[in-house]
This record gives sequence, C-alpha cells and structure tokens, in this order.
Amino acid sequence: MRPLLAISTAIDWLNEKVGNVCNVLILAACLVSAVNAMIRYAFSYSSNSWLETQWYMFAVVVMFGSSYTFKRNEHVRVEILYLMLSERGQLWLDLIGTLVFLVPACLLLSYLSWSMFHNSFIIGEMSNNAGGLMRWPIKFVLPAGFFMVALQGVSEAIKRAAALRGEVTIDAKYERPTQ
Amino acid sequence: MITIEMMPPLMFGGLVVAMLIGYPVAFTLAALGLSFGFLAIHEGFFGFSFLQAIPERIYGSVLANELLLAIPFFTFMGSILERCGLAEDMLDSMGQLFGPIRGGLGYSVIIVGFILGAITGTVAAQVIAMALISMPVMIRYGYNMRYITGVLAASGTITQLVPPSLVLIVLADQLGKSVGDMYLGAWGPSILQIALFAGYTFVLSVIKPGHVPAVPKEARTLTGWALWRKCLLGIIPSAVLIFVVLGTMMLGLATPTEAGAMGAVGAIVLAVIHHKDFSSAGHKVLLVGVAAAGVGTIIGIYFTPNLAFKIAFAIAYLAVAWVCLEAVRIPDLRDLVKQGYQTTMRITCMVTFILIGSTCFSIVFLGCNGGVWLEHMLTSLPGGVWGFLIFMNLFIFFIAFFLDFFEIAFIIIPMIAPIAQKLLTPVVGADAALIWFGVMLCVNMQTSFLHPPFGFALFYLRGVAPKEVKSSDIYWGAMPWIGLQAIMVAVVIAFPITVTGLLDAPRNVDLDKVKIEIPDIELPPPLDFGQPKN
Repeated sequence: MRPLLAISTAIDWLNEKVGNVCNVLILAACLVSAVNAMIRYAFSYSSNSWLETQWYMFAVVVMFGSSYTFKRNEHVRVEILYLMLSERGQLWLDLIGTLVFLVPACLLLSYLSWSMFHNSFIIGEMSNNAGGLMRWPIKFVLPAGFFMVALQGVSEAIKRAAALRGEVTIDAKYERPTQ
Repeated sequence: MITIEMMPPLMFGGLVVAMLIGYPVAFTLAALGLSFGFLAIHEGFFGFSFLQAIPERIYGSVLANELLLAIPFFTFMGSILERCGLAEDMLDSMGQLFGPIRGGLGYSVIIVGFILGAITGTVAAQVIAMALISMPVMIRYGYNMRYITGVLAASGTITQLVPPSLVLIVLADQLGKSVGDMYLGAWGPSILQIALFAGYTFVLSVIKPGHVPAVPKEARTLTGWALWRKCLLGIIPSAVLIFVVLGTMMLGLATPTEAGAMGAVGAIVLAVIHHKDFSSAGHKVLLVGVAAAGVGTIIGIYFTPNLAFKIAFAIAYLAVAWVCLEAVRIPDLRDLVKQGYQTTMRITCMVTFILIGSTCFSIVFLGCNGGVWLEHMLTSLPGGVWGFLIFMNLFIFFIAFFLDFFEIAFIIIPMIAPIAQKLLTPVVGADAALIWFGVMLCVNMQTSFLHPPFGFALFYLRGVAPKEVKSSDIYWGAMPWIGLQAIMVAVVIAFPITVTGLLDAPRNVDLDKVKIEIPDIELPPPLDFGQPKN
C-alpha cells in the first residue's frame, strides 16, 4: 500500500496547488468583469478579448477546481441513506462509487473532449470576434480538467482503501456544502 | 430485448436509484448518462458519434455560458455581506424602531430579510446573519421559540425569490428566458409573500399576543433622531448597492453577470466602509468619489457624455479602487475576502459540475426520446393545464425534500420546460408562459429550504442557534411558514397576473437587446430531438 499512498500524496499535492490558483482566479474574474462594465459605461470602450477572458477564467476554475473540491469532499450528495451508513460503510461506498462512477466517467469524458480540442488545435481555431482570443487553449481545459478529476479519484480511492485496511486514518466526513 | 421505448423509463428509474445511493450527484449523473449511452449504442439506437455531442454541449452551454458566471459573482457577494456587519446594524436599528409594537421584532426581521434579499441572493448569508443578531434579542423579550425560528428561516429564504436572486438567473438560463423578464415577474410574488408573512405575524399578535410580545420602550438604547439616523445609515448603503446590482441591470448598463461582479466589488467597498479601521484618508477619498460619481451621473443624464463625464467617472473609479485597496490593508478584511473567494470557488465547481453531469444524462435521455415520453405522460394527466401545474408543483414540493434547488433546476427543469411552454401558452401567452412557470417553481422551491430535516435554512439555524433552542422547535417552527409559501404557490397559479402584470407594462429598454454580444460561443449544432422549441 505504501507506494500507492505516495502516489496519492503526490496527486493531492498537485491538486491542492491547482486549487489555490483557481481560488485566486475567482477573484480575478470578478474584478475583470466589474472593470469591463465600468469602463464600457464611462469610456464607451470595450474589448472582446477582455470580455472573453471572463468566461475563460470561469471555464478554467470549473474544470480545474473540481478535483480540489472533490478532494475536500464538497460535491453535493443526496445524503439520506448515506448518513445512515457506518463510517466504514461510507468509506466503502466512496471507494466503489469512485471506481465505478467517477473514474470511468471522467476518463471517458476526457477522451471524448480530447478530439474536440484536437480538431480545434490543428486548425488553430480563433474567436470569431474581432480581437478575440485563441479558442484551442480553452478547449484544452476540458480533457485536462476531466483527467485531473479522474486522477483525484484514484487518489481518493487509494486513501479509502488504505483507511479500510486500517493503514491510515482519513477525515472523510461529509458536510453538506452551503450555498 | 430492449426497445427504444423502454429506455426513458429505465433511465428515469435508474436516475432515482443511483441518486439515492449517496455518491456525489454530479459524477453519478455523468456515469449514468454515459452508461445508458453505451447501452443505446449497443442496441443500435444511435452511433458512437452521438456521444461526441456531450463535450460540445458542455463547452458550448456550460463553460462558455456567460450567464453562469453569475454563480461565482453572486456567491462571492453573499459571502462578503454575510460577515461584514451590515445585516446586524440594520436589524438592530429596525428592531428598536418596531420593537415597541406587538410582533415588532418579527416585522423587522421580515423587512430586513426582504432588503437583504434584494442585495444578495444567497440564503446562507442571510439566515446566519439574521439569526445571530435577532435570535438572542427575540428570546430575551419572550417571543415564542417556534415563531422565532420560523420567521428567521422563512425571511432568510425569501432571498431566493427577490431579485437579483441567483435562483432566478439559473432558472432563466435553463428556461431560455431573459433574466430581466424573470426579475420583473418575480417582484409581484415576492412582495405579496412579504405581505403574507407580515399578515401572519399580525394575526398572531392579535390572537396570541403572548407569542409576540411588545418590547418595553425603556429597552431602546437609541431614541428619536439618533435612532432614525441609524436606520437610514443602515439602509442608504444597501439602497446604493441594490441600485448597483439591480439598477444597472434594469437600465441595461450591465449584463446580469457584470452586475453581479459590480455587486461583489460594491460589497467589498461596503465592508471597508463598515469596518472600524477604515482610515480617515479613505473617508475623504470616498466622499470625493461619491461626489464625482454624482457629478458624472448628472452630466450623463442631462448632457451627452463628454470629457467632463469621463473625468468624473475616472475619479469615482479611482476612489473605488482606493477603498478596495484598504481591504487589502486591513487584516480582518483581507481574511474576509480571502475566505470569500475560497468558498466561492468550491461552490462554483460543485454547482457547475452538477450541470455538467446532468448534461451527460439529458443528452442521452433526449436521444432516447425521453422528451416524447415525458410529454406523453404529463399531457395525459387529468385536468389539462391545471392538472399539469398541480402535479408539477406537488412533484417539486416533494422532490425538494431530497434535492437542492440547483439539482432540480439542472436535472428536472430542462426536461419539462418544452412541455410547460406548450401547455401554458394558451393561458398567459407564449412569451410569458415560461416566466410564469419559472417564478411559480421558484416560489415553490423556497420550501425546500424549510423542509425538515434536511432544509438548508433549518440547518444553518441549528448551526448558530443557542443551546436552549431545541431542534424540534426549529422543525415545528418552520411548518406554518411552509404553509404560507404553499398558499403563495396557489396564489401564483390561480392569478398569473401576479407574475405577468409587470411584464405587460411597456418598458423603455429591452433587456434582450442591450445584452452584450456574447462573443461567439460556437454552440454545437442544436440537438433538436423533435420537441417544440419556444
């Protein structure tokens, strides 16, 4: 189990770093959007590339922040039955769910979206708006983001398996995310 | 053998079972959709290339959807306002103003709930902030415990319905309607609901005066002018923020998304002004900024925008930037902002991933003629339109025990929107049909926050309530208010005019037209499976 746990730690570290970047991107997206509106009103100036930057940031945050959110166990569940399970039961459910639902689905989505990115990349796709941004980099976040979630799934599965074998203790407590 | 007719019911049943397992909804939905997709490919209902539509759709209508940016912005705004002390000040002064009449503390909670609702749009912020300040006061003056918990939870929840609610933005997106129209439609029911809450409090104060006693006049710490001044100081900054968010949107100066972003910046400014360490230099800068903005606005209204207009606004913007920098300087506020964007990031990912998961599911579901199946079921209900509305509302009411608003909006709404459009058009006209339906569901979904034992509002309340408040009080306290919300749903169904009244009024600005060109989002070829598009 030890080498696997080392892999898990490495994945956790990576997603933690990525998550920290996404945190700041949220603030940045907010400021960019507000400044765009303010400048357009007062100076009648607007730039398509800055308008596109807003949702580029959103896309990056959603796709790359999800693995971090998953690591912190903050994806919402229908918890009625889940809360009735014992702690071990919850660990088992998470382990099986991750291996059966999450990892295959995310790998498949990553594969499916790769060709979308690839097509865009080989034609060097650009925004249709004057002064817009390149399109292919933002299409890359789909395959990459889904892959990162799958990776985090592997890490969580390793941790839960190790916890079930009693090799480590993890804090897998689920609390409903607030909204 | 599986025929294509069997697929939709199978998928629907699978959805219910899989969700109940308790694995995170987003991934369950994605996995379920994809596995049924493979089953359908295996059975030859469509080819593998069909699944290629999924990433296209995720890219086109989720990631490149400018409207969904409102989710992080409004969440961020809410998380800042939650902890900047604004709600506390308003409740304190309002409570002192209304306290001496019977039920007065209740009225103050309801009114402040409405005002805060018009600023933020997130329930958590509101329930927590209001409970922290009002609950101890109400307990001290002998209010009935169940009334206290009920009024706090319900008044916090109303923020869902009062524009600029995030719920309405997401519903508008899923129903394919403009956010501005959705807001116009929601004003009527939200004001009626406030009236209903206040009316209930009034009736209670007449039949059971002991439940909502008057606060003795001597308990006021402020009187006369000082009290009025404090009330105004609480309300004026909020009114400015309401204008920044709602006004700019309604006047067509900003898209809903940008209004959210400006609201978030405005919330930071408000938090700085409110903070005790706000420097005196900052005060002066702020006053200059406000004056410049005033001058700029006057020029903007009476003259064509000229150089003076630009300079005035440049000064105002610099003042805003200065005040925001104060937030970086003051350690408390720095932490506040930091925590704000961190939680916002996780909530945004969580919510948006539900939409990504449900996109996987619904593409396959519609590809297997699920839309036709649902339509057939829902249109053959007895009672025609009214049967449909009553069924849908009961359905949403009960499903809200298990699902949150976002799950309902992303999973269920897109499936029934085309059917609702078709059925409701004869009643209120094609344009207003989905607005009416959306607002109705929005009123209905408020109850999901109050359902024991999983209602969010109750959950927050439990988190901040003092020990002497029993959980059973929280649960039972919510009941009458759920009833009031149900009455409101009935009113909206029976009198569509409550929603459509404002819609019919002539407007100078057509929000659809002033919407900024969303730079080409390369929508995939529309996946039209033969249902009517609106």
